[in-house]
Amino acid sequence: MEVFNPNPTIFVPTKSRHAQFAKPHSLWLNDPDSEQDTDEDDSDEVEQIDQDEIFDLIRSISDPEHRSMTLEQLAVVSAPQITFNSKVPDRVTVEFTPTVPHCGMSTFIGLSIRVRLLRSLPERYKIDIRVKPGSHESEHALNKQLNDKERVAAALENPALLEVLEQCLSTAGRST
Amino acid sequence: MTSIERSVRTWIASGRENEIESVVNAISNGEATLLDVVKALGEFLTAEEDDVRNKGVELLSQVVNQLPSDKLNRQAVRVLVTFMCEKLDDTETIIPALKALKALVSKDAFTSSDAVEVANALFRHVKMKVLVQAQRFVVYGIIDGLVARHRDALINMGPDFVSGYIKLAEGEKDPRNLLLAFAIARVLLIEFDTAKYIEDLFNITFCYFPITFRPPPDDPYGITTEDLKEALRGCLNATPAFGPMAIPLFLEKITAGSPATKRDTLQTLDICLPVCGSSVAKDHARKLWNTFRLEIFQPTDVETENMALNTTQVLVRTIYQTHGTEIVQDEEIEGLAKDVCEECLKILKEPEKNQAKHAIKVMCAFVSTTPSVAKFTLSQAVPHLVQLFLNPDEIQNRSATLKLLADLIDAVRESVIVTTADEEKSAALSPYKDEVLGVFTVGLKTVASCGHALEGLKAMVLTPHLLVDEELGFVVHNINEVLTNEETQNDEDISDSILDLLTTVSSISSRHVSQTTLPLLFSSLPDQAPARDAEADRLKYWHTLSFLKRLCLQSDLFEMLVIRLSTKLDLICVPASSTIADSDHEPTAAYAHSILRTLADTLARKVELGHTDVSKYSDRLVPRLYNLHFYSTLVSNGDYLVATDPRLISVSAEIVTLVIQTALVGKQETFVKNLFGAYFDGKPGTLAEGQHKLPGEKPFAPFSPDATSLQKNLVVLFSAALVPLHKEVALPVPNESKVLETLVHWTIQYADNVLQREAAEHSVAAILNKRADSVADFLSSKVDLFWADQAERIDLPLEHRRKAISLWIWITKGLLVRGHSLAQRFANRLFDLFGDASVSWDAARAIGEIARQDKILTKKNHAVVKFLFAQRFANSMLPKIIDGVKSSSDPNRQNAFLVALTSLIKSIPKSAYIHEMFSLLPLLLRGLELPDHNIRANVIDTLLSVADPSSKLPTIAEHANSLVSTMLKNSIAKKMPSTRVRIAALQYLATLPSIVRYDVLHPQRALVLRELAGALDDPKRAVRKEAVEARTVWFKYTG
Repeated sequence: MEVFNPNPTIFVPTKSRHAQFAKPHSLWLNDPDSEQDTDEDDSDEVEQIDQDEIFDLIRSISDPEHRSMTLEQLAVVSAPQITFNSKVPDRVTVEFTPTVPHCGMSTFIGLSIRVRLLRSLPERYKIDIRVKPGSHESEHALNKQLNDKERVAAALENPALLEVLEQCLSTAGRST
Repeated sequence: MTSIERSVRTWIASGRENEIESVVNAISNGEATLLDVVKALGEFLTAEEDDVRNKGVELLSQVVNQLPSDKLNRQAVRVLVTFMCEKLDDTETIIPALKALKALVSKDAFTSSDAVEVANALFRHVKMKVLVQAQRFVVYGIIDGLVARHRDALINMGPDFVSGYIKLAEGEKDPRNLLLAFAIARVLLIEFDTAKYIEDLFNITFCYFPITFRPPPDDPYGITTEDLKEALRGCLNATPAFGPMAIPLFLEKITAGSPATKRDTLQTLDICLPVCGSSVAKDHARKLWNTFRLEIFQPTDVETENMALNTTQVLVRTIYQTHGTEIVQDEEIEGLAKDVCEECLKILKEPEKNQAKHAIKVMCAFVSTTPSVAKFTLSQAVPHLVQLFLNPDEIQNRSATLKLLADLIDAVRESVIVTTADEEKSAALSPYKDEVLGVFTVGLKTVASCGHALEGLKAMVLTPHLLVDEELGFVVHNINEVLTNEETQNDEDISDSILDLLTTVSSISSRHVSQTTLPLLFSSLPDQAPARDAEADRLKYWHTLSFLKRLCLQSDLFEMLVIRLSTKLDLICVPASSTIADSDHEPTAAYAHSILRTLADTLARKVELGHTDVSKYSDRLVPRLYNLHFYSTLVSNGDYLVATDPRLISVSAEIVTLVIQTALVGKQETFVKNLFGAYFDGKPGTLAEGQHKLPGEKPFAPFSPDATSLQKNLVVLFSAALVPLHKEVALPVPNESKVLETLVHWTIQYADNVLQREAAEHSVAAILNKRADSVADFLSSKVDLFWADQAERIDLPLEHRRKAISLWIWITKGLLVRGHSLAQRFANRLFDLFGDASVSWDAARAIGEIARQDKILTKKNHAVVKFLFAQRFANSMLPKIIDGVKSSSDPNRQNAFLVALTSLIKSIPKSAYIHEMFSLLPLLLRGLELPDHNIRANVIDTLLSVADPSSKLPTIAEHANSLVSTMLKNSIAKKMPSTRVRIAALQYLATLPSIVRYDVLHPQRALVLRELAGALDDPKRAVRKEAVEARTVWFKYTG
């Protein structure tokens, strides 16, 4: 197999949501002994899906070329690169940055993000996946390929491809 | 015919064991001689018929085998050896002859000349290829015996023996024989002159490497892969002469082998390289390193990578180890170590890249090789990294550079050079100490590099003798600056590392932390609570407190914490001027609560760690807390004073319990006297000694019927001190039963709120548990009266009866935990209420509550705990409940039994009910239909806890389909409003595929995936997370 980037730069992952001292808007420090279920049930407050939540879904996907590292560690994906369409809230754009402009794995990375979100986000969402402008030599073709339903479906028919995909996704649930 | 002759003939005809025995006995007793046996055998030994001859030799062989060593004289052995050696030539008698020889070898009269004769005869006549395993095993046994007992004679045989053995051992395949063969080969290689045959020996040992043998299942011989590997390695590293031939073979195995082979080879190299010696290692150094490098820089897995690093260390040590002549300080390092260092330095020029991680690992490994190599490595790496850090062009890579430097320092600290004393470790670093310290302190100033800088500083602090006291002060000073830095303050990782480092420093010398860091932190705590809308300020003091909580565990730091925080507490709760009379009290109370919480959490941690200084606070902190709460309660005229807040009292109660727990019996006795003096005799002064003078004019009597609710709240602090008493501590009253009566009466009649009631219940349980023998009066009559009067009376208000049931739980619990015989009877009474629709569910839940683990009757609180009390309880209750569901026709009663079941099962350990799962599961599934959310969640939790992927219960599989549909129903927000149930149901859905066979469950897959798509859109984030998890599992569920 051709190695596209044998020595990639590693980035320090950001922390996901912080542990909290108190419930929102409370003056009182949390009691460590109190049972958790009390703060789960009561409120009717709806917690919207946000940038961080989508990022949490894809940050731990393994890089196909460096399986021991996640997309986040290689800065392929990041929270600010996930944007909601301000007019149509169910439309999300996920942008990613290949580590090198000639990276042949980019399609695969895009596909793995696509499949992960397909499985994990409610059906009402419409996801656009694209590479960061200027970060890949065949940017246009790549974007077209990743957002073509037929081609994504066709790719998923390929058992060999699917197996590698599942391997990369198997780390996705693990929190860093 | 003599008896010997008779025995011989009978044996030849029948083969009976007894005959051999009688012959052996006859010889042992001196009734016959071996000669008689030979005479009797005469015709058989020389018979023409193969079969008869075989039998003859066999008999002789068995007799020799069973004869004690002293019954065989030199003459006999001599003759027998010669005879048996001759018989080796005869294909019909070779097998018994071998057995006989094996027996003879171990006899005392067997001499060296016999050994040579036997060895020669074996080499001449035995063809291993025609023998089966067991017979070959005998041959190896003979040689093993010879080598063990007559080694010198065999060595004197010279090349004949070695070459003869090689021919014998060639082509052996059976693991049982190989174990022996390897052991023999090792002796040969070490003690015999094998120079001429080294290649042949190489061939008959290295052909087995690597061992790929897998023992068959239920292997009766119990030979493991490890046994064989060990034995073979014993041969491979037996002689340096193998080196030049072995290394290329090893390298080939590493390059081409599977990960397991790679690891095996690396481990073997670890023990072979030192034997090969410096010059062989040097000759192959390049090739070896090239192979290892691949494993380190492009590792297949972490384990192999670490082994490759380890083997590299062995290689370097082998090359550079010069015994005792290491004194030459300025020794020039040439060759491999230098080349590798240069190679790594080149990679380290890009510290942010992935390869740098591996390169630093190699350098770290070098630090633990030989002192001179370590010194050389440090002299190359440390200045390089320091320069890189200081280079303005590399400023964006500072964080990565510091990480590498920190790793290296840590490697020095952990360096395992055997000869290195602590002083030498620090000596290795001390030339660079100042610049490294400088670099790390600069690194502290930026958020990005702060974490790694802290890591490095910690490594430096931990290196013994490296930093002097003044420098520790410098480190602490710099950390203090980071502490006050706004940017880094909110980063949890950084504050964790800071804390870690400060604790490390203070464990060496607490002076710096207590003199500079603590004052800084204390002074940042405001004297007045921030206003309600000053959220940032509140967050700040929470940060500070949480930091203090984790930092002040050491006894002197903790003492400081107690003094400063209790002073602050007094100041907040009883302000000198009451200027804020009309203002908002809640933030103040919350602030005081946070301070108390900090003290309680720190104490709890200290108790957990077994610190002995906790008990002394029964004289300091505890009276002060009583003082504060008593004073505030007494001076309050119904208006709100901070320290009367029940939330504060609860935390103070925790502190009291934690401290009194650790007090000794004598101390507790005095304390409990003061406690009763205060609560029952109206003399609170001694218990609550402290700064504030309790107003004398107001009566202090929390248990009196007309006490204010504020005073009644103080019962919480009474209970807190009563609960952790030792069982030897008697209550300071003439009749302990009376105390119980008072408490029971008070709980039902006068307690105003749940807090007060629970406190009294806990006291009741604790007294019953520890003093059951002194309250017989209460147990014999009063309890029954209570049940009849309070719980069973249907004319009483519902609320009243619920209180009674709740108290009943604690009465029973106190007795149950100590294994008292009444407990079971008391628990059974709850069944009587199952027919009473108004309280049936309360009574049912109570059954579970009784068995539930609580924080009151614990070993730490010195409760009398009977071993496995919960299991016993479950064993007696479960059958009654199961029977109850089945036998009762009234649906209300049935439901009550179901509620009791779900409640009980949640309280008891899994082992107490897992064997009943078959009959329980249908009932639990019915429990899932009950309208109560808590019950549903409990049932699912129970199901989750019995879900064990290693044993796929057929019971679960039977109900798999209904489980799936029930869980789906409970996982959708529209159908199930409770978040807890939804989460539990989703978790169970995620578990199902691992506990039910694929063929049973897979028809549900499409349905589950479709339904879960809805759960992905749940309003709650926590639920969505579980939904994603579950759906992923089902997507992957493809058989």
